[in-house]
Amino acid sequence: MSDRPVVDRLTCVLCPVGCELEVRRDGSTEVEVSGNQCDKGIPFAVEEVLHPKRNLATSVPVQGTEATMVSVRLSGPVPREMIFPILAEIARLRPEVPVRRGQVLIAGVLGAGVDVIATRTVV
Amino acid sequence: MMDPVETHDVVVIGGGPAGLAAALGARRAGAGKVLLVERDRTLGGILNQCVHDGFGLFLYKETISGPEYAERLVEDLVREPIKVETGAMVLDLTPDRVLRINSRSGYRLVQAGAVVLAMGCRERTREMIEIPGTRPAGVFTAGSAQNLVNLQNFRIGNAAVILGSGDIGLIMARRLTFEGVTVRGVFEILPWASGLERNVRQCLLDFGIPLELRSTVVEIRGRDRVESVVVARVDEKLMPIPGTESVIPCDTLLLSVGLIPENELSKRAGVVLSPLTGGAVVDENFMTSTAGIFSCGNVLHIHDVADWASFEGFAAGERAARCAAGERAAAGTVRITAGPNVKYALPQLLTAGAAGVEWSFRTTHPLRNTQVIVKGKTTGKVYARKKFGRLLPSELQKIKVRPAVDEDLEVSCYE
Repeated sequence: MSDRPVVDRLTCVLCPVGCELEVRRDGSTEVEVSGNQCDKGIPFAVEEVLHPKRNLATSVPVQGTEATMVSVRLSGPVPREMIFPILAEIARLRPEVPVRRGQVLIAGVLGAGVDVIATRTVV
Repeated sequence: MMDPVETHDVVVIGGGPAGLAAALGARRAGAGKVLLVERDRTLGGILNQCVHDGFGLFLYKETISGPEYAERLVEDLVREPIKVETGAMVLDLTPDRVLRINSRSGYRLVQAGAVVLAMGCRERTREMIEIPGTRPAGVFTAGSAQNLVNLQNFRIGNAAVILGSGDIGLIMARRLTFEGVTVRGVFEILPWASGLERNVRQCLLDFGIPLELRSTVVEIRGRDRVESVVVARVDEKLMPIPGTESVIPCDTLLLSVGLIPENELSKRAGVVLSPLTGGAVVDENFMTSTAGIFSCGNVLHIHDVADWASFEGFAAGERAARCAAGERAAAGTVRITAGPNVKYALPQLLTAGAAGVEWSFRTTHPLRNTQVIVKGKTTGKVYARKKFGRLLPSELQKIKVRPAVDEDLEVSCYE
């Protein structure tokens, strides 16, 4: 990373005020947040810029049905860079009918500390 | 005309987030016989194909996916003695609340004490926005692409361009990226994104998908399958600027260019529609201009969050139950109009003397440090005011008016 500061602009989504935050980073790990009208905006902005976390959703075909799909998601958000490795794991899934909503299809996927769960019941 | 063979206190048309809630609301308010009619084979409506999370934050206080949200509502529904008919189509609705229903068991007439309209909306198509060019395969509305990918396991293409930045288009940009489809960009004719900011960030920025504002698709090329689209920048009047065209190779074009409330049945029943919302004109009880017919959810006006469609459904179902029980439903006479910077405010009518009513409104364009004011048109009295740091047209907003009102009102926003 060069010495020039990197500036990210994002809208705080913690409450309806929607402060427009500016996050400046220089070469080190120093982060400077401005535009926040309350203290909550700072950790939000720091995490969003340095370690963004996301959930993900897709769907997979269920064995024993006529091509019925079961939708899946993670039980909680993961670091953004894990999205594609986890999608590759999910793509190999072929759950057997019946599948219940909330059923764990992959426990602790890739050591991320979250599960892949079914979000629909297929019977 | 045949005589109705069956009567119900409340009939709900549509089994999505609004209709499911309306049937529950009607039961909870004491309606004895409730019938819910759904055209699809399963309940849930569009929720079934919305596999992403972000649903339920207001209704269930947690973030869940569309199918989970639908299943939870359906579980509540089946505990109630509500008659549910799927794979059934309401063909006609009269102002006297007679429904012609075609279902697997045949065709019949049903008399309703009150009707709740919850038919949802449909997507604007290529034909409706008149994109020039050839007519190859590979042009989809974002919602139909979502259905094909999420529910039917189709791979719809290899390289896509998305026209319009509605929420479904943004969600599909991410979804297609997950499926290995290259998304070349999202093109929006307006100077701002029409979808939620959260979706712009999490669906486009996260994956480096460009969002080009003030630009549109001016031509579709390809004989059997889309081979490319031509995009161009637009001027202040949204007309393409000659000389700014560029050709983008792709085999798929997704359209996310607006949703239209599906009000064919409402019109048959003589319901007055608003040109601003495309849905019925309603009062604070969600009753339309036709006594005993109520409207809620996306058939009433387009929502950005399913939870609000459900909240309207609960309220409309409850009022429909009371109406069916004989509570006199006088149509509102106080008129509420949209003032400066407001696209529309809903309800548009109010029963004189009503208090504590909450209005939904949308702004015409993005605003900062805004004050929203609800003012009497005769006296100039300010009934409510609320400050917003930022208002976006993509976000449906609410403002509550506590005092009793008996004069016409105007809702306006000032920066």
